[in-house]
Amino acid sequence: MTGRAEVTTGPLAVGQFVSLVKRTLSHEPMFQRQSIKGEVSQWKSYPSGHTYFTLRDDDGQLSAVIWKGRCTIHPSIKEGTEVVVTASLDVYVKRGNIQLIVERIEPVNTLGAMEEAKRMLIERLRHEGELDRVRMRPPFVPKHIAIITGAGSAALADMHRLIDNRWPGMRRTVIGVLVQGERAPEEIVRALALTRRMARPETAEKRSEPPVDLVIVGRGGGSPEDLWAFNLEPVVRAILASPVPVVSAVGHESDLLVSDLVADVRASTPSNAIERCIPVRAELEQWLDELDHRLEHAARRTFGDARQRLVSLHARLKVAPLAGINAAKRTLLAQQSNLNRATEQRFSRERTRLAGLEAALQAIHPRRVLERGYAMTQTEDGTVITKAGSLAVGQAFNLHFVDGTAEAAVTDIHTKEE
Amino acid sequence: MTENKTTYNEAALRLEAIVAALERGGLGLDETLKLYEEGALLLKTCQAELIAAEGRLNELRLEDLEHELQTQEAESNQ
Repeated sequence: MTGRAEVTTGPLAVGQFVSLVKRTLSHEPMFQRQSIKGEVSQWKSYPSGHTYFTLRDDDGQLSAVIWKGRCTIHPSIKEGTEVVVTASLDVYVKRGNIQLIVERIEPVNTLGAMEEAKRMLIERLRHEGELDRVRMRPPFVPKHIAIITGAGSAALADMHRLIDNRWPGMRRTVIGVLVQGERAPEEIVRALALTRRMARPETAEKRSEPPVDLVIVGRGGGSPEDLWAFNLEPVVRAILASPVPVVSAVGHESDLLVSDLVADVRASTPSNAIERCIPVRAELEQWLDELDHRLEHAARRTFGDARQRLVSLHARLKVAPLAGINAAKRTLLAQQSNLNRATEQRFSRERTRLAGLEAALQAIHPRRVLERGYAMTQTEDGTVITKAGSLAVGQAFNLHFVDGTAEAAVTDIHTKEE
Repeated sequence: MTENKTTYNEAALRLEAIVAALERGGLGLDETLKLYEEGALLLKTCQAELIAAEGRLNELRLEDLEHELQTQEAESNQ
C-alpha cells in the first residue's frame, strides 16, 4: 500500500518492487506450509549444508531449497525421485527468483510405506486386543497432570489458559518435547517413561508431590507428516504401558492417529483434552455446598421430628400419673357414692322393716289386748295364768284390766277335758 | 493411583445417596445419626480432594526432568 503511494510519486526501484512481491507472497496463506508433489531434478548439496533442487512435473517447475538441518533427507532421494514436500513460497530478491523453502521432504514411496506400516500396526494391535481393551477412566479430579507437548507451543498456552479458567492453580508438570521431526517419537517415548516413574507413589513421595494420575500427550494441528510420530509403534506402546490414563490430544480433524485408537481418552485437540478431563472447580464447590446444606437440613428435620415427638411424649408422661390418680379418685368417689346409696337403701329398708315390726309389736302388746276387753290373769306372785287347770279352787289371783287390777278367787274350775 | 481415581467419585456418589436417603426420611434416629456422620465425613473428604488438586506448575524440558529424576533416585539409593 505504501508501494502504491510510491508509484504515484515516480518509478519504483526494482529491488523495492521485488521486495514488495516477496512481502505480498509471504502474506498469502495459500503459499505457506503447502504440501506439494513433484519430481526431484538438479539435486545438488553444497558443503555449506544447504541443498538446492528443482521440483517439477510435466506441466511446471519451481526452484527449491533445503536449508542446512531444516529437515531430514531420506537417503533414497536422488535425481528423478517422486517426492512430497511441505514448503513455503519465497522470493530470492537478489535474483528475482521465486523458490520453495522446504521444511519437509518425503519420497512418495516411503510415504506409501509409512501408510502401510500404520495399517499393519493397527492390524497388529487389533489382533492383540489392544483396540478393545478396557479404557481407564480419568480421575474425576486429577491431583497431578503430566502434559507432554512442545515446549512454548501455542497448544501448551491454550491448555494452561483453559486449566486456569477451570481450576486455578491445578497441579501440573509439563514435559517439553519435540513433537515433530526425526527425534519426536523418541522424545515422546522418553517423556512417557518419565510419567510412568512419576506415577509411582515412592517417586512421588520423594518429590513431595502426588503421583501423576493423568497424562495428556499431544500437539496442535499440522500436516499428516507432522503428526506422524503419533502413528509410530514405540509411541503407541509407551501409551499402552502407562499405569495411569493417557489422553491423546493431537489437533487434527480428518485422519485418525494410532495414538487416538489406543489412548484411554481421545480428544480432538489439546484444548478439548482439558475440557474433557478438568472439571470446573467452582461448580464442584457449589455442588458440595448444596449437599452440605441438604445433609444438614435433612438430618436436622429428622432430629427435629423426633424431638417434637419426645417433647409431646414427655408432656403426656408428666400428666399420666395425675390422670391415673384422678381416675382412681373418680372410681373411689363413685364407689363411695354407690356404697352410700346402698347403705342408705339398706337403712331405709331396715327402717321400714322396723316400723313394720313395731306396728306388729304394738299389735300384740298386752295393753292393746286389754284395750279390746280382755283381761290378764296373774298369780299373786306375778306368774301369768294361761291355763285353767293350773288353778285351784279357792286360790286367789289378780285380774289385770286396762285401767287397773282386780283381786279375785277361784270358785270352780272347768277344764276342756271335763 | 487407582485409589485416587475412586476417592472423590465414590465419596461423592455415596454422599449423594446418603443425602437422598435422609431427605426421604422415615429412618430411625440411630441410623439417621450414623448416616449424618458418614455424610459429614464424606463431605470433608470431597472438599479435601478439591484442595489436593492444587499445586505447583512445573515446566521442564525432557532432559532436565530426566536428570532431576535420575538424581533423586540416585540419592535415595545411597
